[in-house]
Amino acid sequence: MTMDARRRPGVERAFAVAAVVGGVLAVIAGSPTRPTRGSVDVTELARIVEHEEDHVTATELAKWIRDDKRGLRVLDIRADSEYEDFHIPRATRVPLAEIARMPLDSAGTYVLYSEGGTHAAQGWFLLRARGVKNVFFLRGGLYEWLEQVMNPHVASTTPQAERDSIRAITLWFGGKMTVVDSATTTTPSALDGELSAPHKSDARETIRKIRRRAC
Amino acid sequence: MMAPLYEFGRFGDGTGLLIAVVLGIAFGWFLEQGGMGNARKLAGQFYFTDLSVLKLMFSAIVTAMLGLFWLSWAGLLDLSRVYVPETFIAPQLVGGLVFGVGFATGGLCPGTSCVAAATGRKDGLALIAGMFAGVFLFGEIFPAVGHFADSTARGAWTLPQALGLSYGTVVGVIVAVALGAFAGAEWLERRAERPARRMKIAA
Repeated sequence: MTMDARRRPGVERAFAVAAVVGGVLAVIAGSPTRPTRGSVDVTELARIVEHEEDHVTATELAKWIRDDKRGLRVLDIRADSEYEDFHIPRATRVPLAEIARMPLDSAGTYVLYSEGGTHAAQGWFLLRARGVKNVFFLRGGLYEWLEQVMNPHVASTTPQAERDSIRAITLWFGGKMTVVDSATTTTPSALDGELSAPHKSDARETIRKIRRRAC
Repeated sequence: MMAPLYEFGRFGDGTGLLIAVVLGIAFGWFLEQGGMGNARKLAGQFYFTDLSVLKLMFSAIVTAMLGLFWLSWAGLLDLSRVYVPETFIAPQLVGGLVFGVGFATGGLCPGTSCVAAATGRKDGLALIAGMFAGVFLFGEIFPAVGHFADSTARGAWTLPQALGLSYGTVVGVIVAVALGAFAGAEWLERRAERPARRMKIAA
């Protein structure tokens, strides 16, 4: 019995005890995932939302990205395929479920965006509940980015300095600014009304149009 | 850092294959060292004289199960990214029977037949040849049996889902079953080692 000669009853007993402890604790733990608990100051959150301090505009975000703002993390919470198709430069794709448990830098600045703004706003709440102070979302979602940064339509009456600033940002991201007659900019639509009513059109189609026109 | 490392893009396909080769060699090495390349030893479990395979399988299951459970609990592993093979009840019952008949007849299973072949055992080589022939034959007759092979599909079906119990409870039950199986296997092996005494009692 060569195998028996190599056996160490003490080691076997230790493994058995470890298995019993691991198994009993597993029954007590119940689930292999720990609930991520967070708490929010509801009054504070209501104040932030009321004062519109919960979101950034696409132009502000563009400046943060261009100026390499310290600790900035841009999170794209759309589907993988949509992210592959088009995303804001420097953005990382993070599913909403992942936001609940991903490691966080409490001193960092997080900006969330989705196609519209709803999911990003929900993600904003999750991150606030997890204790991140500097968290914002893009209220108009990717549409706002496409409209304000990639393909802005600026009225001819806009002061030159402001126009130059918008052009510089747009060019930095590879977009194209269009100057239009002030009379036609009363409806702030970049794509013949498509972006101002984004939910009627498919986002991918919109991105394709933007690319054809601007990029 | 979150596992599975490959799923989270920590390394590419090339490194993944390299790691698979290293793990595969280690797996084969330890199987051989545990005597699992020996068909006589493996066949011993069907006569209740040597239950090494049962003990080895339960050790592996309990180790992996507790490891996955607690790594996930500690936030180091995303269980939703761990591949769970799909369940097809009827074809897998038939496949299990064919596997069992082959195992009892040849004394080796696919992994151990590779280990046996690597050590130069002819039965290992013969079983590998049979395995490839079976794979080829199944591929050839798939148009005729494909309908059955895809029947009674349950998707990635886990014990907690099937039993309606929590993961933790299933883990606890499997640990208890494994320890019971170890104790039972040891008792059977001790009984097999004392044939003379048994015969004396019988007489």
